[in-house]
Amino acid sequence: MAISAPAASRRRVHPSRRQDTSMAYIMLAPVLILLSIFVLWPAIQAVYLSFFDWSFYTDSEFVGWKNFHDVLVDDKFWDAVLRGLQFVLMTVPVSMVLSFLVASLATSVSRRVSTVLKVSIYIPSVISGVIASITFVIIYDYSGGLLNALINIVGVPNQAWLGDPRWALAAIAVPAVWLGLGISTLIMIAAMLDIPDSFYEAAQLEGANWWQRTVYITIPQMKNVLLFLLVTGFVGSIQQFELPLVMTGGGPHGATELPNLFIFNHFRGDAYVGYSLAAALLLFVVLGTISSVIFRIVNSEKLVD
Amino acid sequence: MKRRTLLSAAAASATAAGLAACGSGTPGQQAEDPAAEGRTPVEFWGNVFTTPENAWYEKIVEDFNAAQEDIYLNYQVVPADAWDQKLKAAQAAGTAPDLYIQAGRLDTAARTGLLMPLDDLLEPDLLAGVTDPAKEISQYQGQFYGFPLLVEPQMTLYWNRDLFEQAGLDPEAPPTSWEAMYDACEALASVMGNGEFPLNTAVDSDTFGWTTVAAQMHVAGHLPISEDWSTADAEDAKYEDLITFYKTLQDEGWIPRQPLGGGNSAQAFGEKKVAMMSQGSWGMSELGADYPEVASVTGVAPWVQNDGDLTHSISTIGNMKWVVDAKAKEPEATARFISWALGGDPEVLGPFFVDTQFTKAPAREEVAEVVGADPAAADAPWSEVVFEDVVPHCIPEAQYPWDINLAMGDALQAGMLGEVSPAEALSTAQKEIQKIIDREGLAEIRAEMDA
Repeated sequence: MAISAPAASRRRVHPSRRQDTSMAYIMLAPVLILLSIFVLWPAIQAVYLSFFDWSFYTDSEFVGWKNFHDVLVDDKFWDAVLRGLQFVLMTVPVSMVLSFLVASLATSVSRRVSTVLKVSIYIPSVISGVIASITFVIIYDYSGGLLNALINIVGVPNQAWLGDPRWALAAIAVPAVWLGLGISTLIMIAAMLDIPDSFYEAAQLEGANWWQRTVYITIPQMKNVLLFLLVTGFVGSIQQFELPLVMTGGGPHGATELPNLFIFNHFRGDAYVGYSLAAALLLFVVLGTISSVIFRIVNSEKLVD
Repeated sequence: MKRRTLLSAAAASATAAGLAACGSGTPGQQAEDPAAEGRTPVEFWGNVFTTPENAWYEKIVEDFNAAQEDIYLNYQVVPADAWDQKLKAAQAAGTAPDLYIQAGRLDTAARTGLLMPLDDLLEPDLLAGVTDPAKEISQYQGQFYGFPLLVEPQMTLYWNRDLFEQAGLDPEAPPTSWEAMYDACEALASVMGNGEFPLNTAVDSDTFGWTTVAAQMHVAGHLPISEDWSTADAEDAKYEDLITFYKTLQDEGWIPRQPLGGGNSAQAFGEKKVAMMSQGSWGMSELGADYPEVASVTGVAPWVQNDGDLTHSISTIGNMKWVVDAKAKEPEATARFISWALGGDPEVLGPFFVDTQFTKAPAREEVAEVVGADPAAADAPWSEVVFEDVVPHCIPEAQYPWDINLAMGDALQAGMLGEVSPAEALSTAQKEIQKIIDREGLAEIRAEMDA
């Protein structure tokens, strides 16, 4: 038959290719098994249990959509999501711009200076978030903190950096940016080094200045990397947990209660676990939706050499 | 693999294995103690308390393990900020300790099956000896779900006599009303430096949540929920007065805008960063142990009230109970330890109250007599204030779920910081409390509790 012949030929696979595929499955097996055990199965369980008033000590009671309804009508949940988005706006753009500037600097200075710069910028990445939180709590201390001592020098009275709702979220954003700067800078440096020198040489011959080279060559060539950093930065930032947990516990007056901390506070305080599960699943939906919107707006595309 | 790399990897693995062997797979269990061999293990979790309390817990565990050969008690200290998540994770995994220490009301935990009733585990005579205020905080539906260690008022006023004198105030006359508190703060402000304050009170939602329950009752004559737990009752003008009290203190710069430490810590007072503080009676225990110089010039009095009437609802009273997990693996052995430590020889428990500076009331009459007879009691004048001027005028802690305390704590903080007016803050609290009532079905729960 005219149609079945090419179909049959498509199904025919070269023996060496088949061997490669088998090897690929074998190589993937450990991670797939681990993901199934620690991610997939708990996720399925979470969906199932979110329909129950689930306690560790008494029989669970099926409550249908009640937990999801409770979350959806809870202003505090939506406030936490909006606060998370606000936190993303405070951290991701600043982090991207700073990383870009440091990466530009690191790729244009001598090798030795570049190494010093890369090491300095990467050090915060290996510091535990809890240690960083405690350090910044000491810096922000109301009575005796370093920051207040500094502003006292210029005559400004002590500020409640972590106790005033106007400052608290920004005060947490600072260590968040500091901790994340190393990784994003190194990724940007790698992307910048990957851009062919011939592009810049041609641009220089045409008389393009640094700004023009950055806008017309560097940024377009880094588009996929920037998109990657944007999405991972967004997800990492909105899911920030340990900084507000250690530094403020979500206060003052909920000003730093980011979505994950909101869920965690319910988990540790509620008699039943269903609400926390429903909130976590709904947060997953919200984050997934926003991430897909980002991908849609900033299309990734293959680079053409 | 190069030989050196191979050797390094082998050394690293050996080190890791060695380190792992030092610990144990069971949460909370320390390295194997030879003394534990052949004995029934009992897991016991407690918090970090004041210095003398920590020392007492360590000592009784050691003494108990040395006093008999059937049971081995493994005591683990869990910091307060990790307590909730650690206990919850252990409950989820089925590895919760047999025995742990719990502050606050037991009602929700007992109702949701987390705790084992103790009436069949402990001797009836022992339970019968518990004082009435201690019974109130240890029972649910007439059954004991925790054995009380003590009761203590959770809100008293501490003042530094030296600083009062420096500010031209009578060092023997602490304020009793809100107005008098304003006057004292105004005078003290002149002797306090940068980063120092006349007064330290709650300034965050959580601490407001548990420290102002008695004040809510005092100013309004009711708590922010109807007695049958069917409707919220937070929109009361009297509560606006309470918010305004804290707002005035804040606006005048008499209290810090950010907590100067943990809500139950006397550290800022001990370091003389504040001249007065609101704190539970345990504050004196911390001062006596860690800041003896300040303790010697410290006065303790009932906390100030709007009308200066210090004869009703001036503080909540409650605190530490020992509870047995509903899934405890060794309930009988656990009960033997409870009976030995809290219900046996009063001399075992007596030092706890003596070392904590006579600021806590024993939960058994028999122990109270032994503690009262201690010669050191005469050197603790604040003890008389705590037991005669504060304890008789206290109310029990609120029985409703913590979220309701927190809703009022949020309202107090938002109103105090001036984010919203007191009326708006209470309106939000009203909605939040009603939401909790509806979500949790609190009216049915209350009816079940009263049944």
